[in-house]
Formats: sequence, structure tokens, C-alpha cells
Amino acid sequence: MMKNKKLFWSFLIILFWQVISMSGTFSSLILPSPYMVIKAFLESIMRGELLNETMYSLIIILEGLFIGTFFAFLLALASIRYKIMEDFVETLIAIAHPLPGIALLPLIILWFGTGRTSVVFVIIHSALWPILLNTTTGFRTIPRIFTDVGHNLGVRGIHLISTIYIPASMPFIISGLRIGWARAWRALISAEMIFGAVGGKGGLGWYIFKQRVFMDTAGMFAALIIIVIIGMLVEDLLFERLEANTIEKWGMTVK
Amino acid sequence: MKKLSLILSIMITLLSIILSGCTIGNQQNLEVSKISVAEQFGLAYAPLQVMKELKLLEKNLPGVEVTWKQLGNTAAIREAMVAKEVDIGFMAIPPFLIGWDKGMDWRIFSGLSKSPVGLVVNNPHIKSIKDFTGKDRIAVPQPGSVQHILLSMACEREFGEPERLDNQLITLAHPDGMNALFSKNDITAHFTAPPYLTKELEVEGMHQILSGSEAMGKDFTFIVGVSTSNFHDKNTKAYKAFIKSLNEAMAYMKQNREATQILLSKAYEMSEEEIEKYMTLEGVSYDNSVAGVPEFAEFMKRNGYISKTPQSINEILWEDVNDEK
Repeated sequence: MMKNKKLFWSFLIILFWQVISMSGTFSSLILPSPYMVIKAFLESIMRGELLNETMYSLIIILEGLFIGTFFAFLLALASIRYKIMEDFVETLIAIAHPLPGIALLPLIILWFGTGRTSVVFVIIHSALWPILLNTTTGFRTIPRIFTDVGHNLGVRGIHLISTIYIPASMPFIISGLRIGWARAWRALISAEMIFGAVGGKGGLGWYIFKQRVFMDTAGMFAALIIIVIIGMLVEDLLFERLEANTIEKWGMTVK
Repeated sequence: MKKLSLILSIMITLLSIILSGCTIGNQQNLEVSKISVAEQFGLAYAPLQVMKELKLLEKNLPGVEVTWKQLGNTAAIREAMVAKEVDIGFMAIPPFLIGWDKGMDWRIFSGLSKSPVGLVVNNPHIKSIKDFTGKDRIAVPQPGSVQHILLSMACEREFGEPERLDNQLITLAHPDGMNALFSKNDITAHFTAPPYLTKELEVEGMHQILSGSEAMGKDFTFIVGVSTSNFHDKNTKAYKAFIKSLNEAMAYMKQNREATQILLSKAYEMSEEEIEKYMTLEGVSYDNSVAGVPEFAEFMKRNGYISKTPQSINEILWEDVNDEK
């Protein structure tokens, strides 16, 4: 049902768009028609350019997200294990979480140059703090009775974490990953638009910027379509499945 | 069914708001005494500063309301002109041609300045573009910029392959490019214009391996003034007054060198000596002639940056332009 609703609304939006562009109020440089956009989209796919740039962006974001998630869990675990780490992590989040990655760009360029490393750094920064914040909140809100039962049954150390802490705070972890992914994706596109390409490859953000300087408005829309598609796929395939296989299966939701 | 009709009525309302909003916008731009001008930062735009400071436009068109906008790059100027926010814009020839090719209704009305541009390298072993290896990175302001097109022209001449160095380009704004060149970490070369060009060449170890006129094979106009058809046709009085004021500003610069330097040093917050050094630099001149359009157009068409060349020069120049053959 959900999917049909999305399809229905998408169709209506495209129809609306087509009517506006056919009315001739805007030049096609401002608002190309859906037909022109689809044509530009297919042409760019055929050239291989759009897919190459998309792959480049996806590989970078996976790399950044992986490192970011790893450190977020490490810090979250440390903060439940040691009281002193808990204070430290709280301070870290208070300092770093409100800082937009893009605001840090000038500094990052100074430290790491304008290459790939800098983009990965921006992604790690964007993903790490929301994931860490949600995970620590999740750990902290586990009912005391769960951990007590674990202790009574003799569950200790790493087992306590994998069988009680992580499953019990799964809703928080998933929403942390969701926010982390969305923030990282936005940061990636913005950073790519600013950095430009190295060796001809610059990702989707760069692709949009390149269409801009060559005034290919339909091409810019084509890149936006890819971004929307990826966003929907990740939501439907990754997060909804993750939810279905964990919190829904374990009866943690009202559904 | 009720739901659907609700949706439809919302959409129709939205549609009519969007469509009516636009016509109002158009009418406002047709008022005779309003001009909106967009330029970029740099000494190549000096006649415009003179025009501003001496209030030449206000003198030639009493009651005019002129808005000067300084935008960060050519793409932004082009977009503002498509959106009808700007009537007159200043830019290099290749970005103008890209807009013209994509169907923008605009033409060149005057030249503004000629300026040296050059490719500076920080590695003493590189003597020409032939010495670049696959590892060298070259900074240009953006793809499709005059610097990028000039580099492609040089590559066509040297290697027969204009796109030879395209995969080694990196996009950096002029000041960032200069800092990156000095730090020697990221890039080997920077294609730039004064004041960055002169500053870079003053530093030990930096040298120029290619100039703009070497790349092109002749001198060309660096910055031209472009006007939308809308402004040219419907606001002829203001259009003519703008050209007259621009020519007066250029004449003033020739006749009153010292006064110009004082005026510019205030406008640019640079010392008078620096301004003088730049104004007397070889290759710098301010006049209304337009040179190099056919050469750029032909090269860009041949290499797929644009899809057509103008049948006659009158397709891209307004009447009475000082067209330098």
C-alpha cells in the first residue's frame, strides 16, 4: 500500500511539472520538461558518466559511513563501560554534533588538502555524532531489570553487549543509522560540489556542478533523480528490512 | 473521489499562483529607469569601478536606479540573467558562448578589458605543457572557463588532443588555487589572471610556461559586456546610456591616469603602487573592442563544448560593437 501511495504522488507531481513546463511560462533553461530530463538522464547513463560518478560517490560514502559507525560504536561501548569515558563522550558530542561538516571545510582543506581524504573526513564527521548520540541514548534507556537478569544468568562482558545492550536499544540504533546516513549523503554531495574533480572523477555533486557550468539544466535534474532514487532504495531495501528483521520481529513496535 | 478533487483544486490554485507571479516579475523589469548589472571581483573590471565612483550612469540617465551585483562566478551571473534579475553582465567569452549555445537570448555589447592570463608552475623542471606527467594536477577556476578552454587550445596545438590534460584538472577559485600552488601539496600548476598571476610570479621558484595569447595564437578580449535582448529591445534609452557611460569611463582612465589610480586603490583596497604596476603590465588594456569571439566559437564547436557556431557575427554582437578583426 505504501509503495502505491508513493507512486501515485510521484505521478501527480510529474504531471504537475509537465503542465507547468508546457505552459511556456518558464524557459527550458529554468525548468526543463520531464521529457527533457528523462532524455538527459538516459543519455548520461548511456555515456556511462552518471553511473561512474554515482559509483564513485557510493563507494566514498560507504567507506565514510563504515569508519564513522565503527568509531560511534567504539565510543558508545566505552561510555557504558567506564564512567570517565561517559563524561568524555558527552563533552565530545556537545562540541562536535552542532558543527556542520561544510563549516569545517576550509579547515579540512588546510589539514588534508582537497582530495578524497577530505571528503571521507567530512562524511565521518557527519555520520559519527548522530549515530553515537542515538546509540548512547539507547544504551542508557535500557531498563535496569534487563541487565540485572543478564547478570543473574551469568552473562558478562562482550556477551552482555551483544545479547542485551544492542538488541534492547535497536530502535535507537536504527534511527541513529538513518540520521547518520542522511546527514552523510547531504554532506557528501555538498563537499563534492565544492571540491571539484581529481583525475576526472568527482562524484554526483561534481556532476551537478559540471552541468551547471555548462548550463545543462536537464542534466542537473537527471543527477537529482539519481539522488532521490538512491535515497528511496536505501530507505526501502536497507532500513525497512533491517527494522522488519529486528525490532518488528522481536515485537518491539506497536505495529 | 472527494479527496482527488481536493488535490486537483490545490494543484490548480498553486499553478495559477506560479503563473501569475511570473508575469508580475516581468513587468517590473521593464520600468525604464532600473538597471541591474552583475560583475565579478578583479582588476579586469576596473572601468566599472570608475563608472560607479564618478556616477557616470546617473549623469547620463538622470533618475536611474542602478543595482551593482558582485557575484562569485560566471555561472551565477548567467543564472541571474536567465532569472531576469540582471540586465547586464560581464564575463569571459567562452561562458558567454555556452549560454548562447543553450538558447539564452543575449548578445555582447562591448569589450571591457584585455588582460594577461598565464599557466604558472611550482616545479622548475617543467618547461612546457609537454613536461606534465600523469601525476601533475592543474588548477583552473572551473570547467568551461576561459582558462580551461585556453589550456585545451594549447593541448590541441602541442599534442593534437585538446582533452589530453582534462583528467588532471582540479577546480579551485583563484585565491585557493594560489594558496594550493604555494603549498606544493596538491597541485603543480595554476592557470590564472592578475592580481594572482603577478603575485605568484613574484614568489621564488614559480614560473610561467604558457600565456593566454600563446595558447590562442593571438590577443583576445578577456572580459566582455553582455546584455539580454529583453533589456536591449525594451529599454533602449538605458541601454544606450550604459554604453555611453562605459565609454566615458574608459576615456577617463586614459586621460586621468593618476586620478584613476587613486580612485581604484580605494575601490580595491590596494596601494596606489600596486594598482599602477598592474595598469602598466604588458597586455593590460581597457577598451571597448571585442576580439577573439570567432576563434573561441570555432574551437569550442570543433571540440563539442558548444553545438553550433554563429552564422554571422551579428548573431552574437549587438549593433555598433567595435569588432576587432
